[in-house]
Amino acid sequence: MCVKFDMSHPAPLLQAQQLSRHFGGLVAVNAVDFEIQSGEIVGLIGPNGAGKTTLFNMLCASMAPTHGKVIFNGEDCTTLSAHDMAQRGMARTFQITSLFPHLSVFDNVLTGTYRQQQTGWWACIRHQARYKQEEAEMAAQACGILEFVGLAGRRDDLAMTLPYGDQRKLEIAIALATHPKLLLLDEPAAGMNPDEGAKLVGMIKDIRQRGVTVVLVEHHMKVVMGVCDRVIVIASGEKIAEGVPQHVANHPEVIRVYLGREKVHA
Amino acid sequence: MGPGFLAPSACLTMVFLQQLLNGLANGMGYVLIAVGLTLVFGVLRVVNFAHGEFFMLGAYVTYYGMTLAGLDYISALLVATLLVAGLGILANRFFFQPLKKEHEFTILLSSLGLALLLSHLAETIFGADPKYVDTPYSDATFSLGEITVTQQRIGVILVASAMIAATYWFIKHTRMGKMMQATAQNPEGAALTGINTRFVHAYTFALACALAALSGALVGPTAMLYPTVGDWAVLKGFIVVVMGGLGSVTGALMGGLILGIAESLGGGYISLGFKEAIGYAIIIVVLLLRPNGLFNPPASTK
Amino acid sequence: MRAAPFFESAKAWWLGLGVTLVAPFAAFNDYLLHMMVLWGIYSILALSLNIIVGFLGELTFGHAAFFGIGAYASALLVMGLGLPIWLGPLAAGLIAGAFGLVIGYVALRIVGPQFAILTLGFGAIIQTITNYWVDVTRGPMGISQIPPFSIDALGLDFSQASHMYFLVLACLTLAVYLSRTLQNSRTGRAYVAIRENPELAQSIGINTFKNKWLAFTVATAMAGVGGSLYGHYLRVITPDLMSLSYMSALIIMVIVGGKGTTLGPVIGAMVYIALLESLRAFGNLRLVIFAAMLIVCVIFLPGGLISVWLRWHNRVREV
Repeated sequence: MCVKFDMSHPAPLLQAQQLSRHFGGLVAVNAVDFEIQSGEIVGLIGPNGAGKTTLFNMLCASMAPTHGKVIFNGEDCTTLSAHDMAQRGMARTFQITSLFPHLSVFDNVLTGTYRQQQTGWWACIRHQARYKQEEAEMAAQACGILEFVGLAGRRDDLAMTLPYGDQRKLEIAIALATHPKLLLLDEPAAGMNPDEGAKLVGMIKDIRQRGVTVVLVEHHMKVVMGVCDRVIVIASGEKIAEGVPQHVANHPEVIRVYLGREKVHA
Repeated sequence: MGPGFLAPSACLTMVFLQQLLNGLANGMGYVLIAVGLTLVFGVLRVVNFAHGEFFMLGAYVTYYGMTLAGLDYISALLVATLLVAGLGILANRFFFQPLKKEHEFTILLSSLGLALLLSHLAETIFGADPKYVDTPYSDATFSLGEITVTQQRIGVILVASAMIAATYWFIKHTRMGKMMQATAQNPEGAALTGINTRFVHAYTFALACALAALSGALVGPTAMLYPTVGDWAVLKGFIVVVMGGLGSVTGALMGGLILGIAESLGGGYISLGFKEAIGYAIIIVVLLLRPNGLFNPPASTK
Repeated sequence: MRAAPFFESAKAWWLGLGVTLVAPFAAFNDYLLHMMVLWGIYSILALSLNIIVGFLGELTFGHAAFFGIGAYASALLVMGLGLPIWLGPLAAGLIAGAFGLVIGYVALRIVGPQFAILTLGFGAIIQTITNYWVDVTRGPMGISQIPPFSIDALGLDFSQASHMYFLVLACLTLAVYLSRTLQNSRTGRAYVAIRENPELAQSIGINTFKNKWLAFTVATAMAGVGGSLYGHYLRVITPDLMSLSYMSALIIMVIVGGKGTTLGPVIGAMVYIALLESLRAFGNLRLVIFAAMLIVCVIFLPGGLISVWLRWHNRVREV
């Protein structure tokens, strides 16, 4: 299934405008600007401690910026809270695996469909037909997403019993269940071997095919180079480079900042 | 005019000072309860609803030590303190240690279960009728002008002050005390530096129970004793700990004194209902406005 | 471990309703019927507490206060202001719910053990006020000779256990329905999400505060209605209703029965009442036994008695 992105709207899906975050005297993120267009897969990379996570958290509203704006889908979302962002179509995963541990795999994903439903307790009490219909739809969606990430065989297992790789997949499944416009992935390839990394690349591309724009923070260079259309490099809280992966890989500033680390392969 | 005739304003001052002194005595009793509670929270990260039961047991063991075993008050008090400390070690071993990795909710419920178990066992074994603990000090009074106070209450103030000072010194200057501090500040880090956190936990719990039992032994003779007094005691403990900040010994000291005096003055000048309600009102106001306690910096927002 | 399909089918619940409808005719004395009425009322209260403790996963020590508020509101309005008696439960629910709305608004911003202490404080202060505001509440003596529900035209006197049972059963059916619909709706899933992982719940669009607030208010309103039923049946209420002993009893019913389920609290109430009465000879030891049951469930059986049944049922199904 290939979804056409709305090219008639040149307005970016997500804009960071002069985003800054101070912790007392420490400047973690300093006046970062960038734009994400619909349909892109953008990577956010940089050495450890560069401020990527702080920047990431500001984008999904789990941390308030000290200065600057976050504009999502044309709306100034800077003062909104995390659940407001999710309601507007921004989904995210967490660096440390975050699931509903005592629920089954299926229930985890079903819970994720929350924002798509209109009918709740009251509709159920009144035995509304729409309630039954929506419940069936959400269940079907959850099944479909489980198929997509490859966890359909484990649907009744408790989330906390899954092996690490499957837990990461489940996280993405929950995020997809919200039917987001934008998916923010926080180090999705962490702890994966090259094989799993390659599978992840495939999944992210498939996610884009479903009509979801993706931004990922990542350290695994192979994954970044393999999947991203564009890469933004953050170092010491500032944006130092931006562009297609090959261009960024040969950027002198980027090489300097990664000095001593793995050479950035195209 | 003889010395027995006092001007009205002097009379009012005397009443005020009397209330103040009563409040001080009550307050020091509260501090002893609260210090243990706050230490257990700081080091073990456990909110122990059963803490008041150790106060109750301290009082009862003292009572039975004197009436059944024929011990004198001081000996009974010492026996009570040590015995209840030992009970504390057992309680920690069976009710809190196995649940260390569980959700806070589970540990809270476990402590509630322990509290109910102990208070109802006490009611079954000791009987629900109130007991009166008679010590050589509970009736003898000490007078300063128009102000009278029982020697027992003076004892509460003196012994409690000494114990609190000793506890403070212990935490700051002994090796175990420093290990307690380390475990409170960073449980994983402390374990990594070779501190036997299980031992520290057991030690802290025993110390907390000992202080609670001591408070029971001291305060018991100033009023009557009944099996559910533990509920009252733990509630006072919570009020003080909330005021002082969870984990702070000096906070417990200040909170206890404030509560004792506020209750005494409130009860004397406003009403008995006020006296009872003020503690709860304090919990509500402090937890809503300054969840970290009155004497700590306010909790930071996002 | 999924819930046994048996519980998810409407048939099972209709069966349960049938059994409870027929049960009183098998009861051989009025005393047993009285126990069944109490079971019904306590089940409603336990179900209301279950919303907070079971679904939301927050431990509250103030819930008995709302039970008491409902009882007092109903009694005072009916006796003092001449409110028609059948509006008593409605008023009780609204007033208790209003208290829950306000207290929930301020208290639910706090989480963890501090929330438990805070609700303890609220519960205690409400009890103290009830105890000392003698002009209105008649203080520790309480209110007595509360009029019972009745339908004179049909000769129904609901101070009698045999009549009251059916009224209570009707209310319990409603409470069970509310609990089941909650479980099966996205609202229930949201509460469970908040309980299991509040941060993740936020990130999928759940407004954790608003949801907790709504749950709390509904739970307190339900407790208030239970209080009204209690007051007009037993006809005597005292501030003791708001005490820690009632609160502990409710907690035990929910935890021992099985928190987070609908049948759990109902079973818990049944076990509590049954043991309370059948072990009457043991006196205070009964309460020791309850404490022990609570501890055993907390440490070894977090899902309560219901989980034992479910485990057995699943094993049987697989065979």
